[in-house]
Amino acid sequence: MDIPIPQTVFYLFSFIMVAAAIMVITVRNPVYAALFLVLTFFSAAAIWLLLEAEFLAIVLVVVYVGAVMVLFLFVVMMLDINLAPLKEGFVSYLPVGIAVALLMAAEMLVVVWTRDRFGPEIYPVPAAAEAGTSNTAALGELLYTNFLLPFEIAGVILLVAIVSAVTLTLRKRSGVRSQSPSHQVRVKRDERVRLVDIASESPDGRSD
Amino acid sequence: MLAEYFPVLVFLGISTVIGVALVTLGGLLGPSNPDSEKLSPYECGFEAFEDTRMKFDVRYYLVAILFIIFDLEIAFFIPWAVALDEIGWLGFNAMLLFVALLIVGFVVEWKNGALEWE
Amino acid sequence: MLTLAHFLTLGAILFSLSVAGIFLNRKNVIILLMCIELMLLSVNMNFVAFSRFLGNLDGQVFVFFILTVAAAEAAIGLAILVVLFRNRDTINVSELDDLKG
Repeated sequence: MDIPIPQTVFYLFSFIMVAAAIMVITVRNPVYAALFLVLTFFSAAAIWLLLEAEFLAIVLVVVYVGAVMVLFLFVVMMLDINLAPLKEGFVSYLPVGIAVALLMAAEMLVVVWTRDRFGPEIYPVPAAAEAGTSNTAALGELLYTNFLLPFEIAGVILLVAIVSAVTLTLRKRSGVRSQSPSHQVRVKRDERVRLVDIASESPDGRSD
Repeated sequence: MLAEYFPVLVFLGISTVIGVALVTLGGLLGPSNPDSEKLSPYECGFEAFEDTRMKFDVRYYLVAILFIIFDLEIAFFIPWAVALDEIGWLGFNAMLLFVALLIVGFVVEWKNGALEWE
Repeated sequence: MLTLAHFLTLGAILFSLSVAGIFLNRKNVIILLMCIELMLLSVNMNFVAFSRFLGNLDGQVFVFFILTVAAAEAAIGLAILVVLFRNRDTINVSELDDLKG
């Protein structure tokens, strides 16, 4: 029997992704929610690989799974939160949440699946890229020619992120005793040692 | 081209199988008879002073922010380096400006003492 | 055969789940931020799918920028959250109503 591998991979990772997303929004503990979010992002990276967006898949794993989720975990563990009051109202919002989500999903699926709007006739499945083509190089060529201004704006946004994070969270501790290695290295002998002439004494206690 | 990634899939499958197998085997074969004293946090024989889950310090958060920003900067570097032959001097100078912006952020961070661990 | 509709369906399901998550976790700001990240992910999924099926890489460049902005947003949002918790000792949304007249 011939198993179509891309389809299997797609359905496997979509199932993991949807299951993990459901866990993200239902678990009690924010630490578990963050970990399930990691699983969601990881499955999304696998599906992007299937869509031949290799560079973005690896960026998703490196930047999101590696950095943003760690940031979330830090924050969850930094604030010791009383979890009980944060979950109250969960049951009472459950019906309306499910209703709205189902309605939205139904609307979008109607748009997607009726009249074959996004079917294979209108959007034919593209041929797989031949071996040796680099998604990263193609992306770089586009990014650094057509998208120069957005690229620089992205740089400014990152700068704003650094500055705001520092100004928001950094606070000076007063009364902290800290070493200053550069000061320690620069110190001169005369600042530390004082040579004093002292008259010598004889053993019987009588001075000369 | 996707066939080139098939080994990754095999690797994922094998590692998942091994991980799940180790955890289930450990759970099934290992002796487990807990009681309340065994499960309570242990602190050298006396009653624990504080909660098991202690709070992290906010300075770890600043380090994580630094890491994210420079992680993204490296992510921008990769396509730039791969496509450097095609994008020419304009692309090269654009990256210089980008790096200059981030160096400004780095200097701000350094001068504010966010890198100090006092 | 995997058509564009399959990937759009996945994005739609993910988006609806994150909307439901915002309804369910109205008290907890951290989970709300996570739901926003999920929403951005589902939108990115659509961008990447269209980029592949239209044979146009612009969508992927856009996703790269979205990832950048989302990371910066997470960093600033969590920084605000830390300051909020330090000043008010809570992250419960229903207690943050100082601006209510």
